[in-house]
Amino acid sequence: MRRFLMVGVATLFFFTMTHPATAAETIGVVRKTAGAVQVVRDGKAVPAAVGMKLLVADTIETGSGGSVGIILRDDSLVSLGADSSLALGKFQYAPAEGKLGLVARLSRGTLEYISGLIGKLAPESVRIDTPVSSIGIRGTHLIVKSESAGG
Amino acid sequence: MPRATLRIPAFGLFLTLLAGACASRPPLPVPPPKAAVPRDTVVLLPDKAGTTGVVIVSASGAEQRLSRPMEATRVASGGTPGVPFLMDEPAVRALAGGAMDALPEPPARFLLYFSKGTADLTPESEAVLRDATGAIKARDAVDVSVVGHSDTLGDKAYNDRLSMKRAQAIAARLAAGGVPASILEITSHGKENPLVPTADQVAEPKNRRVEVTVR
Repeated sequence: MRRFLMVGVATLFFFTMTHPATAAETIGVVRKTAGAVQVVRDGKAVPAAVGMKLLVADTIETGSGGSVGIILRDDSLVSLGADSSLALGKFQYAPAEGKLGLVARLSRGTLEYISGLIGKLAPESVRIDTPVSSIGIRGTHLIVKSESAGG
Repeated sequence: MPRATLRIPAFGLFLTLLAGACASRPPLPVPPPKAAVPRDTVVLLPDKAGTTGVVIVSASGAEQRLSRPMEATRVASGGTPGVPFLMDEPAVRALAGGAMDALPEPPARFLLYFSKGTADLTPESEAVLRDATGAIKARDAVDVSVVGHSDTLGDKAYNDRLSMKRAQAIAARLAAGGVPASILEITSHGKENPLVPTADQVAEPKNRRVEVTVR
């Protein structure tokens, strides 16, 4: 069943063909930045700007004094404080196909998260992993700080 | 050298005991503990609606469940999550103020309704379209989803076309109102995603709609 009829279907097709390893579908957008913020995509780091579209497998990183606010396509709100790194490992938002899930990895730093529709429709499918723990989020609002040794 | 490194702790212990035995000074303020190993702090906050969800923190095969507002747990690398405790607001701010200040405003959502079988807005929805255009400009939106829907009257192919036509009509109106086309994402769900669930082949005005989400 075709859930989304994209206007840019040709563009999508082109991206899918030229980058078979990456999904070209936008999963979110950068809404706010302060200080140093970058997005690592396919091993390359680019400075993040407000309005930048995010793809699955992107890693968002902030430097000291940096912060970033993101809105995902299911209307989840995500923000990172300074010296943070968040990898958007899995983002599935196709309710009609029953494909729903969000798994992100906070390798360091501070995260605030308010769940969107994925959390509402499939609460069991939302998880944040850190080097230390795994956090299952049942449709809600939370803060995670993952400190490295000595910090 | 090994002998010296062994002696220092013993000597330190001796001094500590001596100081403890002789002094009755008030204790020095204890600085916030630095993490000796990597550790996580997880805090559950209330939702905007005033309700609170559930967070389950797992590590080393053990779990802690947070379900009360401002409830928190700590877990050190290789350890299990600690017994939940309550954090006050200043402590949460001290922990995560930078992230909290960067949290975006929630998206604004607008529902536009159409006459049966057409991409013509109902008269009432004209005002909502003006509101949506205003909101996009007011918040300097960076991402706007325009999602077309239909009721269940007619077959799938017909409704896929109709719901796409509706989304495109609204996107064109937004663009004409000054919204950059680059921030518009136009999709359609046909009759698959009704606002009001109905049987097949039912005319339902609330399902003939375009949802505009302003981020």
